[in-house]
This record gives sequence, structure tokens and C-alpha cells, in this order.
Amino acid sequence: MTPWSLIPHLLTSGITIGAIYALVALGFVTIYRASQIINFAQGEFVMLGGIITFFFLRGGGIPYPLAALLAVILVIIIGLLLQVLVVYPLRKASVLIPLMATLGASIFLSNTSGLIFGTLPKVLPPFSGERPLEIGGIPIAPQSLWVLGATFLLLITLYILSHRMLLGKAMEASSTDPLGAELVGISRNLMVLVAFGVSAGVGALAGIFITPIFYTSYNSGTLLGLKGFVAAVLGGWGKNGGAVLGGFTLGIVESMSVAFIPSGYKDAVAFVILLLILYIRPKGILGSPFIDSRRW
Amino acid sequence: MVERIRREFRKRDLCYLGALLLLPLIWPDPHLHHLLVLAGIYAILALGLSLFLGYAGQISLGHAAFFGIGAYTTAILTTRYSVPTFVAFWASAATAAVIAYLIGRPILKLKGYFLALATLGFGEIFLVMVRESRSLTGGVSGIFGIPWFSLAGFSFDTYLKQYYLIWGVLLGLLLFAKNLVRSKVGRASLAVATSEDAASTVGIKVAQVKVGVFVVSAAFAGFAGSLFACVMSTASPEAFGLSLSILIVMMVIVGGMGNLYGPIVAAIFLTWLLDILGGYQEYSLPIYGVILILLLIFFPEGIGTRLGIRLMYLISYRGRKKKREEVQL
Amino acid sequence: MPLLAVKKVVKDYEGVRALNGVSLQVEKGVIKGLIGPNGAGKSTMFHLISGMEKPTSGNIAFRGVDIAGKEPHEISGLGMGRTFQTVQTWGNMTAVENVMVGMHRKLIGGILSCGLWLPWIKREEKEVLREAFGMLEFLGLSAKWKWPAFQLSYGEQKILEIGRALATGPELILLDEPAAGLTPQEVQALAEKIQQIRERGTTIFVVEHHMGMVMEIADEIAVLNHGELIAEGRPEAIRDDPRVIRAYLKGTVYA
Repeated sequence: MTPWSLIPHLLTSGITIGAIYALVALGFVTIYRASQIINFAQGEFVMLGGIITFFFLRGGGIPYPLAALLAVILVIIIGLLLQVLVVYPLRKASVLIPLMATLGASIFLSNTSGLIFGTLPKVLPPFSGERPLEIGGIPIAPQSLWVLGATFLLLITLYILSHRMLLGKAMEASSTDPLGAELVGISRNLMVLVAFGVSAGVGALAGIFITPIFYTSYNSGTLLGLKGFVAAVLGGWGKNGGAVLGGFTLGIVESMSVAFIPSGYKDAVAFVILLLILYIRPKGILGSPFIDSRRW
Repeated sequence: MVERIRREFRKRDLCYLGALLLLPLIWPDPHLHHLLVLAGIYAILALGLSLFLGYAGQISLGHAAFFGIGAYTTAILTTRYSVPTFVAFWASAATAAVIAYLIGRPILKLKGYFLALATLGFGEIFLVMVRESRSLTGGVSGIFGIPWFSLAGFSFDTYLKQYYLIWGVLLGLLLFAKNLVRSKVGRASLAVATSEDAASTVGIKVAQVKVGVFVVSAAFAGFAGSLFACVMSTASPEAFGLSLSILIVMMVIVGGMGNLYGPIVAAIFLTWLLDILGGYQEYSLPIYGVILILLLIFFPEGIGTRLGIRLMYLISYRGRKKKREEVQL
Repeated sequence: MPLLAVKKVVKDYEGVRALNGVSLQVEKGVIKGLIGPNGAGKSTMFHLISGMEKPTSGNIAFRGVDIAGKEPHEISGLGMGRTFQTVQTWGNMTAVENVMVGMHRKLIGGILSCGLWLPWIKREEKEVLREAFGMLEFLGLSAKWKWPAFQLSYGEQKILEIGRALATGPELILLDEPAAGLTPQEVQALAEKIQQIRERGTTIFVVEHHMGMVMEIADEIAVLNHGELIAEGRPEAIRDDPRVIRAYLKGTVYA
């Protein structure tokens, strides 16, 4: 089989994983805009979303949708706790300290998950059917369509939340001018808390979408999180559109690379892209409001 | 006056040195010796990173990669080409330094989170390369049968001998670092860490200073990696991952920024802590994560620096009093 | 040939024109003042001259060399020092070390020779320490040479910053609001110090809001308003210039 004949298949799987990267990237951006903190534990939300759903479904015998809902709620609570217990006490520290603390939280969350739910990789059943659909002669797993559709819905919801509703405007105000927002009665700490809740929820959903396609194990969150961050930088750091674009770009490029280089090197692709983009255009594809051209 | 203070310092340093020399003899427990050997290796790593992070103020989450480069250089040279360990030791540091120079030029224009992410990315790329270039590095299983470190026919084949070897190297590197810190390099690093603008307007080439310090700290990691390979007699990829990079950064933070002794003490402390946690089996890593967070919340400036600041006030007060007496004369 | 010649410099910040075709010159050996209401473009001018920002168009010549687009450290190497509007001393270093950083370029040791503390490095360091101490004596800070800079008063830190800039051995030194935040006594001492620096052979270009001091020490004054040069000349002439008075009355009135 020549590499070219693999392309359609790789493209669909690239778009699927790209959607997940986009959601993770969105989580990074949401938290960063509210608090100027990069939450390196973002990938753990994804892992926990998948694994907790699996636990409820298999261990508790709870129906699929309910298990997923419970998992999302649980992960949101974990996200809120992370903000209250780890990030809030460090709100005045310089860049390095919160960075290390979220890495510490990442170590804690992944290994605790391994402790409670076991270290074996887990896979959820697909939402509907296993038989691939044929679209234009290309076999596509129904789950991929679910992932794309759900991601699309989630993006629209988030868009409405942040652009059409008061909460979104308050968050925007608090991130652009914390003092001014504080003066009109918007609590910055509350906004940061909301941002952690939203990111955790989005991350958990991403985990639930992806676990039927890729195995999720207690330690798979870290790498996923890092790649989500790469996606956010690639698309344009700090922009929601950039996060989505970066996510899909990264997913497709990474997936396509398998056709041309040994698959063992796949995990390096994201980071090579990262180094290149940081060197050539740190603002990312769409440009970034947080990176001033002279200083970078 | 200055001479007397210097003599006092010398006396204090001699006390530490004596304690270091005697410690393993007083307490002849092989497990302790092994821990001290590990702590010494980590201390070399932390010392190097302390120059980059604590003095020049730049974040690196990829130092485990330089440690790994050092270890693999020694492993490959000694097992494939029968190069003497002493030569491989220097070659390891040189390789790490050259690679640091090559990646440092483009990467070090980044700051803060982005520098952290770029160095982290470098570390991940290194791991993938090591795992995949099986013919050179032995892939996931790694390289076995690395000989003991030996010098002029004398082989460092017990933990006790290795202890003296490693702490001897550490001492040498500590002197080197101390000299760097009190020279123009140290001053330029501190200047760059606080204000790059101000530094560049007094004629400091900011990029050059950053790359220079990065290369030195990578060379330290290379030395440490070489010693690690000789002590463990194996080199395999999982020893050089992100968790080690995190550990080294934690040593510098806990030891205190802008301080050379602190990271060494922190290296001993964290090695000891990890050893104790090891006893809790699968609970060890969750507990480790919690301890990291607690250390960061309660000692963000490091345990060393808090004490250090108090000491500095004491000294500067004494200094002021002395100055006043001189003025009155 | 003037020491510094700024020709038709334009600087745009994303749609805002901070400087609009400003030309001015600083002759060797003078104290030149640059004044103007807030937002007139004074600090932008200094950033352009010291290389921290690049002009959109126009050119800047220092000692006959075109420096527009050169890096700050290169410009410093040509013999220009500067201070900042908000002090940027290095708090975690002692006063004398702050000055020694200014002598960075005089030291030729590299990383290896410094790390090995070779005998000539030792001599070099001693020499620089003595020189830096001499600089602190000149500035009247020698009693506090071993204090960490963050323990010095604001005024002392401003003086220390001037010392650090002088330590590079500059032909021209740019002082960005040296008197801001100082007590009247400190301002008086500063004015004297600036005149002494000129006597040592360093040309001075100073941005200042403290009119009394500028009028007293400057040989020549240039006035900026809304990014344009509206007047240039001797202090007395500037004081009575109707355009200057108008510019100041429209904005805030300064003492």
C-alpha cells in the first residue's frame, strides 16, 4: 500500500483528534484569558472525563448519558477545587510558580486516577454503532462524526456564552481590565473560578468523545494537554478561533505525518511544529493579542 | 577586615567539607551511600540549572534531556567504542553543550511560559528520538553494561568510592559556578534576569549571555548524566523524562533562586523525600504531587532564600554598623 | 558635525503617530533639554535614540554612524548611556555591583576564564571594583557601596542609575526624567551633579518635567508637542516663546 492511499483515512482520523486538540486548546485559552495562568493540568481533565465515565458505566452500571453527565460534573468540581486550592493561593506569584504548581497538580491527578481506577488503558463503547459509514468511498467511524458534531455544538455554545451573554462579557471585561471590572462589581476571582469550571467541563467532554476511539489511560492526559497547548500557540495564542484552527491543523498534520515518517516519531511532530512556529512566527497563524511583536 | 571575613568563610567551608568527607564513613550504610550518590548527581544538575534559572531567570523544563544526552554519550562511547570513561565524561559535557548552543540560539529569544513550553518540547523530542533510533540507543530498553568510572587504572566500583567521586566533581563544579557568579558573567545574568532593557543599554548582549549560561548549565547536566550512566551502568529513556525536569526545577525553587548552596541542599532533601515516598508504593506519586504543590504555596521563594534573606539583613546591619564606626574614626 | 543628529524621524504605534518628522541635533559638550507636555513623544524619542525601538522612517546618526535599527547594546558600544523614567536598578545586586555591570564591556574575560578565576581575571575584577567604587565616590554613594540596591532610597537609586550609565564610558548620556520623584534638596544636588558630569566631558541630553531644573542647567532646549518639534533654542527664548506657552496651557500646567 502506498502512503498516498492512506491519506483519506489519515485525514479523517486527523480531523477527529484535531477536534479534541481544539477543545483542549480552548480550555487553555479560557483559563489564560481570565487569569494569565497556563494550567498544565488541562490534559488531566480530558483523561478524567473519559476514565470516570468508564468507571460509572462499567463499575456502577449507570446508563451511558447519565454516566457521562456525572463524569462532567465531577471533573468540573475537580477543576474548581484546583483553582481554589492551588491556583488561588498563588495568584500573586510570578510565572514559574503557578506553572510548576499546575504540573504538580497534573502529577497528582494522573497518579491518583491510576490509584483509584487502575492503570490499565480503558476504552468506552462508541455512542452509536461500530460499523463504519461509507462517505464518498471513505470509511468513517460513526464516533468520528459524533466527535465533530459535538465539538461543533460545544463551540457554538461557548461562542454564545462568551459573546452573547452577560457572563461572557463579564469575563472579557475582567480579563482585559481587572481593576476596572472590579470597580463595577465583577469579581476577578469569581471569573477565574468560572473559567476553571468551563475549561474542566470542556476538557471532560473532550475525554468522553475521544475515549471510544483512542484508549485512555491514567497517564495519557499529560501529552494530550501539551499538544493542546501547542495547538493554541500554533493557531494564535489567546484567541478562541486560533485555538480551534490550531487544533485541527495540528491534528491533521500529525496524523498525516504517519504516511511519511515512521509512526514512532508521531509524538515528536507536535513539538517540532511548536519549535518551528515559536521561531518563525510566535504570534501563531491568526496572530495573538498577548504577544507584542517587538519583544518576541 | 575583608581578609578576616574571608578567613571565617574559609573556616565554615572547611567544616562543611570535613562533614562531607566523614559522613559516609561515620554512617556505613550502603543504602545511604547510594542515596548520597544519587543526591550528588542531582545536585550537579540542580547547580547547573540554578545558574540558568536562579541567576539568569530563564525557565527550562528540558534539562532532563541534557542529562540524558550526557548519559547516552557516555553509554555509547564506552560500550560501542571502548572509550575510557574519563574521556567519555568530558565528551558528554561537550556534546550537551554543543546541542544546547544549537537549540539555545533560536529558543532563548522566548520568555516565560513560551520558553518553558519550548524547552519542554525539546525534552519530548529528545525522548522520541532516543526511543526510535534503536540501532544507536537501544530503543526503549536502553543500553546495558556501561563500565564503572575509572581513572588511571583506579575503578570506582563501590558506592563509597562513587560517593567521593561524585561529590568531588560537584565540589569542582561548585567552585566553577561560584567564580562565574562573582564575575562579570554572574552580574550580567542577574542583570538580564531583572531587566533586559536596562542590561542591553549598558552594552550587555542579552542573547549571548542567555545562551552562554544555558550552555554552561547544559554542560553541568552532561557531566551529571555521564556519572549517572557509570553509576547505574545502564541508560534507558524513562529516566530522562519530564518528571526529572520538573524535579530539577523544584530543587532550584526549593533551594532558592540566586543561590548556589540552596539547590544542593534541596537536591539532598528531595532525593531523601523521594526515597521515603518510594516506600509507599503506588501512593508515592500522588503524595509527591501534593508535596510539590505545598512547597510552592508555602515556600515560593525557596526554603533557602527565606533563611538567606534573614541572614543578609543581619550581615548588612553589621556592615552598616561597621561603616558607621569607620566614618566616626 | 553634531554628536547626535536626528533627522525627520517618524514613529507610528498601530495607527497612532507618536513622532511626526522630528529633526534635532545635540552638539558635543552641551547639556540639552527636551521638554513637552505628557504624551508629546519625549520618551519615544529616547527609546528610538537608544535603540530600544525602531523608527518607522527617518534616520538617527550618532558620532557620524547611522544607528536607526541598531540593537541597544551596539549603540551602547558606540558610546551612549541612558537612564529610565522608572528606575531600573538591579535590586538584588549591591550598589557597587550595579555600577560594575555598567563596565561589562571593559572586561574581556569569557565564561571559561571567569569560571576558572584565572589570575588575570582576578586582577581585572579588582581593577573594575576600584573604578566602580570611584564612581560611587563621585556620586556621593560610596558609604552605601555594599547595600543591595533595593534598600537605597528612590533618589539614591536614580543617582545609581546615572552612575551605571556613566560606567560604560559614554560620550552622550540620555537622562529620562532624572528629577521626577525627588525632594527639592535632591533636585538641587542632582542639578549640580549633572553639571559636574558635563565638566568631565560627557554630553547630556535630558528629558525633564521639572522646569526649574531644566532652565537652570540646560544650554539649549527643544520642545515637543503632539509628536512635533515646536521650538528649539536657549532657555530664556523658550520660556517666552508663545507657542510653548500655548502648548503647555492647553495641556496640564507644570511647575
